[in-house]
Amino acid sequence: MNRLLRDLLVALALGGLLALLPAALRELFGRSAVSYLTLATNALLLGVLALSWDMLARTGQLSLAHAAFTGVGAYSAAVLLRFAEVPVWLGIPLGGVLAALLALVLGAATLRLYGIYFAIATLAFTEVLRTVVQKLPAHIAGGAPGINVPPLFRPTFVAGQMERWEVAFLRNQGYFWVYLGLLVLAVAISIALQRSRLRSAFTAIRTNEEVAGVMGVNPARTKLVAFAVSSFVAGLLGAVEAHRLGSVSPDGSFAVHTTVLALVTPIFGGLYTTVGPILGAGVLAALEETLKRTFSEGYLIGYGIVLVASILFMPRGLVGLLTGIGRRLTGRGSRGAGATTGTLDGTPLPSGDPPSASTEAKP
Amino acid sequence: MTTPILRVSGLTKRFGGLTAVSDVSFDVHEGEIFAIIGPNGAGKTTTLNLVSGLLTPTGGSVTLDGADVTRLPTYERCHRGLGRAFQVVQPFPEMTVAENVLVGAQFGSRGVSGAEARRRAEAALERSGLAPLADAPVEDLNLLQEKRLEIARALATRPRVLLLDEVMAGLRPAEARAAVELVRSVRDEGVTIVFIEHVMPVVRDLADRVLVMDHGAELAHGSYAEVTADPRVVEAYLGAEEEA
Repeated sequence: MNRLLRDLLVALALGGLLALLPAALRELFGRSAVSYLTLATNALLLGVLALSWDMLARTGQLSLAHAAFTGVGAYSAAVLLRFAEVPVWLGIPLGGVLAALLALVLGAATLRLYGIYFAIATLAFTEVLRTVVQKLPAHIAGGAPGINVPPLFRPTFVAGQMERWEVAFLRNQGYFWVYLGLLVLAVAISIALQRSRLRSAFTAIRTNEEVAGVMGVNPARTKLVAFAVSSFVAGLLGAVEAHRLGSVSPDGSFAVHTTVLALVTPIFGGLYTTVGPILGAGVLAALEETLKRTFSEGYLIGYGIVLVASILFMPRGLVGLLTGIGRRLTGRGSRGAGATTGTLDGTPLPSGDPPSASTEAKP
Repeated sequence: MTTPILRVSGLTKRFGGLTAVSDVSFDVHEGEIFAIIGPNGAGKTTTLNLVSGLLTPTGGSVTLDGADVTRLPTYERCHRGLGRAFQVVQPFPEMTVAENVLVGAQFGSRGVSGAEARRRAEAALERSGLAPLADAPVEDLNLLQEKRLEIARALATRPRVLLLDEVMAGLRPAEARAAVELVRSVRDEGVTIVFIEHVMPVVRDLADRVLVMDHGAELAHGSYAEVTADPRVVEAYLGAEEEA
């Protein structure tokens, strides 16, 4: 309980510090701060997406349905606003709730599926959902072109008191703070899961579901909890993003691209941790932007090469790499990032608590 | 006698055309140590899997403390007091020894507080002699320690009936003696024990009653002296392997 509180306070403090970033960027870069702020916002978005995917992955469920849940969040925000004029402060959370409810339905239907079969079923589910939304009467869901969604922030230009670029800056700053808030929420949920007994249940189910059951873990219920929590966060994200993009559409809101990012980022950063997906999001967002600016054409090839290389050479992601380096620097044991060997004769090992922040990262 | 804590009646399991377990019945009373022996492929492990819920029987029933649990999932049986240690040790690989045991303590019974779960896990580690290795990753354990971990995990669920599947297999005689002492002390605390074993001296030392299985069915049933004197048992063993 103590450690949970401490971790939450650390997360909150870091979030508070990050909230000052827009002002700092403005001081440092002036009008260029607008694009840096967009980059930072994209990194936050990616962090939320990756962390929400990771929460489900901790139970061993490899979901390819993340676009379905961001899509449902986006559409429910759009449709609620269109027909019921639900205020955004209610519409966005409802997007999360609807995504979570849908996850419970999908989860209950796919509980018996493992590994690749679950992945295929969830991918099919996304496609079905996209098609259904597209084929619904246009006056309900807007058909193929979709529905327009009003922005959350509409700063007005006051001639003489501010420059043109400041309007864009203020708008981006608003979304930055909203996504920062979402990330802090996602981190808080993730930490709460990691510090509760659900963490053992998740790991037990992921590594051996049969034995977990014999030890008294209810695998079905545990997976549903993870699925609902993960999808709730994804739904919130989708709803906010609908406002930022200004519209929802079947192809845009249910894009496979979203699902791919959701799973690549935690793998790159470090699976089954709170830090890993966020670290991965920051590095990948910065990397993509740098590559895009350096090679305007075909930058995705470079991006792809980095990802392939990282999976080959960092099987435990950035977190694994960093803890490995940290161990070596502090001279604690000779274990490398992926090494699992130890004394085989069963002599007690020094209780090697990994250094500093990696308590969370230790799988 | 009182009602048995575990009653297995007419238990049958068919896999396609193969009958792995055929009409097996036995009662185990509270505080008893009950052994299931038999040649390889006799259906012993399948029987335990049917009792703990990893397999659903084709026919027959399993009753735990008067309640029919035949159709209940594994975790539900665990909550009702059925513990299980596996023949092929399968610890959760990404956890330490203590974390492995903690899973059983946290989820083995309903409504266990965090502090109480830690106490139970520590007690189980202490019992099975694994306390010094609590923080070691499970990859570092040797076979004896892995077997102890299997037992510790099952004990942490606070079972009323503990199912042990060949926990002595592969152990040196001194190690096996230590394991026998552990099993006996667990029973002395009131836990009923059902175990599968190939090492006959262990069966002789521990078992109050013995069920001999062959080809999925009961071959003999009684005290160790009775079953080992049974000509059918001798024949089954001489035909298959010599252990005693």
